[in-house]
Amino acid sequence: MKFSIKKMFLVLILILLMSQLSFAQASDKEIKIALCAPFTGLGSILGEYIKQGALLAVDEINATGGVEGAKIDLRIYDTQANPSIAANVVRRALFDDKVVAVFGPNMSSAVLGVHTLAQQRKTPMLVGATSPSFRYTNVGNDYLFRLRADDGVKVAQQVKYAVETLKIKKPGIIYGSTDYCTAALEVAKEGFDKYGIKIVAVEQMREGDKDATGQILSLKKAGFDGLIGLTHEPEAAVVVKLMRQLEIDVPIIGFSAWGVPAFTDLAGVAAINVYSVQGFNPADTDPVVVKYVDDYKKKWKSEPSDPSQCYYDGIYLIAKAIKMAGTTDGAKLAEVLTELTYDGVQGPLKCDEHHNFTNVCYISQFDGSTWKIIDILR
Amino acid sequence: MEFYDILQNLISGASIGITYGMVGLGVVFLWQSINRINFANISSAMLSAYLFYTFYTQAKLGFFFSLIFALGLVAIYGLGLRFFIYEPISRRGGARLEFVVATLMICVLWINLIIVFYGGLPKPFPPIFGESTDFVRVGKLSLPSVYLYIFLVVSILVFILHLILRKSFIGKALRATAQNKEVAQLMGINVNLTTNLSFILSTTLVGIAGILLAPIYFVSLELGGGGIGIKGFASAVMGGLIDPYGTILGGLLIGIIENSSTLFISSTYKDIISFSILVIVLLWKPSGIFNWTTR
Repeated sequence: MKFSIKKMFLVLILILLMSQLSFAQASDKEIKIALCAPFTGLGSILGEYIKQGALLAVDEINATGGVEGAKIDLRIYDTQANPSIAANVVRRALFDDKVVAVFGPNMSSAVLGVHTLAQQRKTPMLVGATSPSFRYTNVGNDYLFRLRADDGVKVAQQVKYAVETLKIKKPGIIYGSTDYCTAALEVAKEGFDKYGIKIVAVEQMREGDKDATGQILSLKKAGFDGLIGLTHEPEAAVVVKLMRQLEIDVPIIGFSAWGVPAFTDLAGVAAINVYSVQGFNPADTDPVVVKYVDDYKKKWKSEPSDPSQCYYDGIYLIAKAIKMAGTTDGAKLAEVLTELTYDGVQGPLKCDEHHNFTNVCYISQFDGSTWKIIDILR
Repeated sequence: MEFYDILQNLISGASIGITYGMVGLGVVFLWQSINRINFANISSAMLSAYLFYTFYTQAKLGFFFSLIFALGLVAIYGLGLRFFIYEPISRRGGARLEFVVATLMICVLWINLIIVFYGGLPKPFPPIFGESTDFVRVGKLSLPSVYLYIFLVVSILVFILHLILRKSFIGKALRATAQNKEVAQLMGINVNLTTNLSFILSTTLVGIAGILLAPIYFVSLELGGGGIGIKGFASAVMGGLIDPYGTILGGLLIGIIENSSTLFISSTYKDIISFSILVIVLLWKPSGIFNWTTR
């Protein structure tokens, strides 16, 4: 009797141990990854692209068996394009949901407010925000990585193209009031300074404004011979419509927000001939890009737009990092991320001294239906 | 700076300003008829724009049917506001403040419902009032063609509103109901009908504004709050919440101040300047500087 009680006790312990083990194995079958993007609010224009790019990669990876047999569980959080809400959702993802990596937030001002949380929990944070303010050389966060070219690179290329190719000598700038726009303005000012070119007028347009006649007339009064656009998409549409209305015929070259369907859809034919420095162009004939565009269209019934591709690449990057590290430990993943290379939609991806994975950008011109690629700069 | 540039700036300011005035008309109408401020006023503009977009672009019902269905639903929404918000609050002893808070919540609710069903992306409005590059040019001056429709419709609406409120029996009945419901009923006025009418006309009026404003504001969440809502309300206050002409003039003034401060001072301080002027003007004349009705 004594023996049988002992035996039963042992069996019970064994069962308990096995159930714990199987629980641990089950939880290991899923890799929790957070996607923090704006689906409402000012920057909501990008949320869908971001989600769709990331989900496409997650579904592809999970369909082929996941990462080392573990499926990716993508948890989506709405930052509402608001830095304080972004801080709340990132905190929840990191400390409550205990995710392995955080993608986003996508707004530069939000990233500036939350990247230290990733550092605190030693979890990689991969963002598509483009302000140069949080380059590794500025913030020194080992856990913060950028998945697309930053504006220090893109706006510098924009200025270069404006001066060297379009021969603009009296640039006028219109910019928005968010960090995305103001940081780009500083880069543009620096860029023109290097060429010894004086910017004749700098005008601001608030997000949500539907008229900028005063700003455009002030630029005209200053005698500008080219417009550098550094606003968000809806404001960009208002600006180009006004340029056509006021019959001001100077080259218009916008930064990344001016090179996406969200701008051309709203601007319509007024966007014809506008130049843009893009982070992505679906017309790229590179086979990897073609495949990505086809798969995206098949799944979402719409064309991908910047920054969807960088979150798609990002999911593959983290999957490769987990495989290489053989663990989901954040510190080890951050270390591996600085070393690995991966050929993605944006070309060869490799972490540089700013913790940027790529510097690729396209100079394109809108022809009324598509963005015609003029140059690809890597 | 050329004279034409200044004139162009004034015209553009007036054009955007008239859109604020249009939104303000809905506020005026409900205040005139039930003595309440509806903070969900601007939601009717957003709803009608999204509904019209759905019927026209997705269901392909054509302009006429899309317009009728969109405005019809917005009119029903007006009745909904009465029976599900205004009446329950009144029955339970709530007054103006409770109505303001409830309608403010409704405004947020609609924005979030639109996000759920349509997403946050602004959608291009079909080119019913002309392409984005269709302009009317007079000499060196130019104006997008949609503004001509807006000026035309606003003129008609203001005239009709003035006739209804000031010259017709319905207007008298509406005002009597607003002043004293019980006495109005004793005088033989069908209070139930006039209250229904107030809500229907108020939401439909702003609904018309929503469809006209969509080519400028796009089919977007901006039509359901934010800047245009506040400026529309400010226009109504400039007209003393009473005068439809004053409301339109109030909107025009706000638009012109905004554009002039951009042209002559700085685009960065545009909103600071225009709202500072508004506050000063309202402190000077709290009953509205364009309120000729109560003088």
